[in-house]
Amino acid sequence: MKATGPLLLLIEDDPQFRLLLTTTLENQDYSVFAVATGREGLIAARNRQPGLLILDLGLPDMDGQEVILRLRKSSELPIIVLSARNQEGDITKALDNGADDYLTKPFNTAELMSRIKALLRRVAKLPGGAQECFQVGDLKVELTRRRVFVNDREVHLTPIEFRLLCVLVRNGGFVVTHRQLLEKVWGASYVEHSHYLRIYMGQLRHKIETDPARPRYLLTEAGVGYRLNEEED
Amino acid sequence: MKSATNYSGFRQKHNYGHWLWGIAIPLTLTAIDWPFREILTASNILMFYLLGVFFVAIRLGFWPSVLASLTSAGAFAFFFAPPIFSFAIADQENLVGLAVMLVVGVVTSKLAENVRSQARVAEQREQRVSALYRLSKELAEARLETEIIAIGIRHIHAEFGCRNTLLFPDGNGKLCYPVNPSPGISLQEVDLSMARRVFDLGKTPEDPGALASEDKLFIALNGSTETIGVLVLEPVDFQQMFLPEQQQLIDTFINQIVHALVRARLAEQAKDATLKIQAEALRNSLLSSISHDLRTPLATIVGAASTLEADGERLNEHRRRKLVVAINEEAQRMSDLMTKILEMARLESGQVVLNRQWYAPEEIVGSALRRLDKKLKKRQVNLHIADGLGLVLLDAALLQQVLVNLLDNADKYSPAGQPVDVSIATTARGLSIAIADNGPGIPEGMQQKIFDKFFRIQAESAQSGVGLGLAICRAIVEAHGGEIQASNRSEGGAVFQLYLPLLECPPTIAPEEKELTP
Repeated sequence: MKATGPLLLLIEDDPQFRLLLTTTLENQDYSVFAVATGREGLIAARNRQPGLLILDLGLPDMDGQEVILRLRKSSELPIIVLSARNQEGDITKALDNGADDYLTKPFNTAELMSRIKALLRRVAKLPGGAQECFQVGDLKVELTRRRVFVNDREVHLTPIEFRLLCVLVRNGGFVVTHRQLLEKVWGASYVEHSHYLRIYMGQLRHKIETDPARPRYLLTEAGVGYRLNEEED
Repeated sequence: MKSATNYSGFRQKHNYGHWLWGIAIPLTLTAIDWPFREILTASNILMFYLLGVFFVAIRLGFWPSVLASLTSAGAFAFFFAPPIFSFAIADQENLVGLAVMLVVGVVTSKLAENVRSQARVAEQREQRVSALYRLSKELAEARLETEIIAIGIRHIHAEFGCRNTLLFPDGNGKLCYPVNPSPGISLQEVDLSMARRVFDLGKTPEDPGALASEDKLFIALNGSTETIGVLVLEPVDFQQMFLPEQQQLIDTFINQIVHALVRARLAEQAKDATLKIQAEALRNSLLSSISHDLRTPLATIVGAASTLEADGERLNEHRRRKLVVAINEEAQRMSDLMTKILEMARLESGQVVLNRQWYAPEEIVGSALRRLDKKLKKRQVNLHIADGLGLVLLDAALLQQVLVNLLDNADKYSPAGQPVDVSIATTARGLSIAIADNGPGIPEGMQQKIFDKFFRIQAESAQSGVGLGLAICRAIVEAHGGEIQASNRSEGGAVFQLYLPLLECPPTIAPEEKELTP
């Protein structure tokens, strides 16, 4: 098996699950460095320059949240969090702390693969500076010219609606927590005012979605946040 | 009875008024008879005096009436029996009459006194009986041990006029101070070592009936098999406390209190036992349900995986694929069951704190539908959203779980191709979300039961599930202060309707008029 892809760092304490993920990932031509503890993981993240981290939140030696916080002090390393607990609180906290995406155990390995690919793609895009144009399905967003089209018809957005859409576009495909959205669109003093987000999200959906109650693009991750769907269904 | 008489006599000794009446009544009679001394015979006058003596005897007691007899005799001798104004009596007949009057007076006084004391005893008995009645009536209504103890202390205080307290052993079987003494009438400072001696002895020494220490009485409270506590009394009058009547009365009081306590304890034990049995039954149904529902998919997984491990190479590609798909599907099913079981346990443990935020209800419905995208692919879901729905304060993740469960049920229990209707509206009862299917509906009388844990209309139906989905829905909706109900539509099919109270008005935001200009 010849590994050609970027190095993936895996921090997972359960040996069976570690073996499964390593095998699956290597099978997809990624090289994998797997460790069982947060401490080893932090050292490996510094020494081996991985391209992406897959982090299990429940670790024996330290809290997964702690690993994220320490990493984020000095690194932009993309992080996918695995949580065995289906609790939105943990997930939201991990995302707010700086994780990029999450999966709840048990999950489909195909799902993990697509998340890894998407995240690596986004990282690859970043050095090229601001993206000019974003398109999915009928929705087209011209970021610098600040114009939005649905079905080639221009949609007029308010500045806040546009900012909201922009944040989601820049995080294309990945969930953005309520807190992050409120902070980026309205400012740090608004992080507790989630009703602003609901009202503007409603408005935005009415302008962009064909059926606002069953959105295609602006998806709700209940209890966590929102994400822009990058896949065309 | 004798002691009661003595006791009352003791009390009357100091009543000088009675003695004065004993003198005053014969003297008054003398004054009344004096003008008629020419008409009346000596025996008539003696009869009048006798009447006075009777009166004193009946109203005022034995000794005043003896005094009245003697006064009457003196007055008769002095004023009526010749020679007048001298105590000498010349007439033989008058002398005999006077002697007979004295004897009759004393004898009738004695009889009257007996009648009086019997009446008094009867009255005291009646008082005791009614005190006991009041006590037993209150005790019969009391359910809690603390209530019974408070009632006991209060009634003993009222009847015997002394401060008292009831001491009971703590968890270690050691007698201790009451935790919540009733203020005022409850004794606060008690010599615990003395109380413990009485308690450990299991009875109070035979004589004087209770163990006395300084100014307190310690009486063991004996149940049918064991000593359950100690009554400590601080009598005002020790002598009175040791009277047999009082002893009997206090014993009866104690018996009543002990019986009430034993009854309350037995009732408590019976309740605990019932709860235990119910918990046991629930655990059993949980275990049998879980073991069946988890073992079935597990059997497939283990079987398919071991076949692949042992004979993987010999199977053709198609068969191998079938086994792998089976493993995947069954594992998914197990995972769903586990999630439900854990969710229910989490909700029941009371650890769930709602993360309430302002949400647009249609948004939650939308995300629930999205979650079931794959399952509902072939089913038409009609959304009816009322205009002007405001934001609602709710826990989005939990409410989404409710809607996913209800939609999943609607899909599971209605024939393929039949549409499912979801309606959201604001009603007088709050936000209403209704999910209606076109399936067979809910059998009559089951509308409530289907929300019970582990309840399934058909216990071993082809539909997988532990019977927790609706129980979870109910727990979540009730945690929001709302309610959920199931009914059948007149045109067929079941409808599940939930109401969430709208307690607060949604916050408003400053409008943003300006449109984006490129």
